[in-house]
Amino acid sequence: MTFKNLFIEHDRSKEVEEWIKEESAEQELRYTKIAQQMDDLAPIREKWYQEFFDRISTAGFNEDGDLKIPVKPEDLPVKPEGLKDQVIWKYGVDGE
Amino acid sequence: MARPHIEPFCDRDVHFKNMVLPGFASGFSYKMLSFDDETGACSMTVQYEGGYKQKPGFAWSELEMIIIEGEMKVGDQVCRKGHYFFVPAGYAMPEISTEQGCLVLMMYNTGEPSHEESTEHHPLAQVDLYHSVDSYMDIPWAVGNVAKPSVASGCLIKLLNYNPISHAMTFLYCMTPNFYQDNISYHDCAEESYHLWGTSWMMQFGDIPTGGYFWRPAYINHGAFASEYGCIALGRTDSKLFNHFHYNPWTNPVENQERSGARLLKRDPLLYKWAVSKDHNHPHGPEDFEDTMQRRGNEEGHDNEHKSDGHRHDHWHGHSHHDEDSPHCHSHHHDHDHDHGEGHHHHSHHHGDGDHSHSHD
Repeated sequence: MTFKNLFIEHDRSKEVEEWIKEESAEQELRYTKIAQQMDDLAPIREKWYQEFFDRISTAGFNEDGDLKIPVKPEDLPVKPEGLKDQVIWKYGVDGE
Repeated sequence: MARPHIEPFCDRDVHFKNMVLPGFASGFSYKMLSFDDETGACSMTVQYEGGYKQKPGFAWSELEMIIIEGEMKVGDQVCRKGHYFFVPAGYAMPEISTEQGCLVLMMYNTGEPSHEESTEHHPLAQVDLYHSVDSYMDIPWAVGNVAKPSVASGCLIKLLNYNPISHAMTFLYCMTPNFYQDNISYHDCAEESYHLWGTSWMMQFGDIPTGGYFWRPAYINHGAFASEYGCIALGRTDSKLFNHFHYNPWTNPVENQERSGARLLKRDPLLYKWAVSKDHNHPHGPEDFEDTMQRRGNEEGHDNEHKSDGHRHDHWHGHSHHDEDSPHCHSHHHDHDHDHGEGHHHHSHHHGDGDHSHSHD
């Protein structure tokens, strides 16, 4: 995070190092559970995608604010063949 | 390696844990929302039990807090639900206490949670940056178009904190009942949100209820968006928020980032070409002359002869506009543009009626 980049250097005690280790391990479990839950949501998400395509090709796509532009059906994207639907990306562009 | 993508997560699904780190009094328990395993920076839902007291002191990290439920006393000030605090690292807070207990969202931005007992600020604390506000009562809702292209109407914000350098923001946002926005978005920054009340929906992640949370690294698709009954949440970005809208749900973060680069090339081609050229491959990024230029420091050896009180405009003519015999004295009635005769046209004084004696005080 960049926020205001405010931090004052100090020594970390052994207690603090231990706490960081424990929280890191718990976060790994939390992340794994969420990733699994989101994989499990994939079938219903496919339906939501279809509904989204129906709405943006009729009522319109929110291009900016309330400005809605209908997308021509032929311009809608095609799911790449064999692609697994993935919505959780552990560190984003910094790698899986 | 920084904080991973946590989305969605609901703090109601887990139990509180007692804080064991040194410096915190008993009666402080927490639910971890997201955590940086390198720095220890984190966001937590914190329960102060009734009767909790924390002695005056500071954290080594920058800290942001908002009261979710209940009341707490900060020094002599009673702070209620919706009260927000921005606390710079090293800023000594007065005693914090709560009679009946309260629930607080605490975000340690740059290091692990810490509390060093002290009634004095740390010498490195940027104390002027401290601020706090009752965000529910003392700030009006504003339209959410802080970024362009913007969110749909029905998404409103209250800006709580803004970093003029990185453009990072902390804000309350709400969605009105029946809000919806049919696009997919991603940003060039990380984004975080905690639902203080109500439920919203995103096409990738489903419902986020009260107590719902996400920490989302940059370039990850989210949306379409909806809220059937409305919601209010605290949101944050770690740098400038730009809404890259599109309608392809199958893109990945690398493709999204590349699109951001392509859009930068279209929008700012000169800057883009300069930034990617190999001629100035600085390991620490380009230099900002404002960070490195020589500055005056103390007054020794500098021009004190022409020192102004900050209100005068002598323009180095050797006379003052305030001098009665000056051709630029404004203590008479006129409409004019005045030319200093030196090739520059400095001020345009277009007056209406009335007395135009012109003092720059």
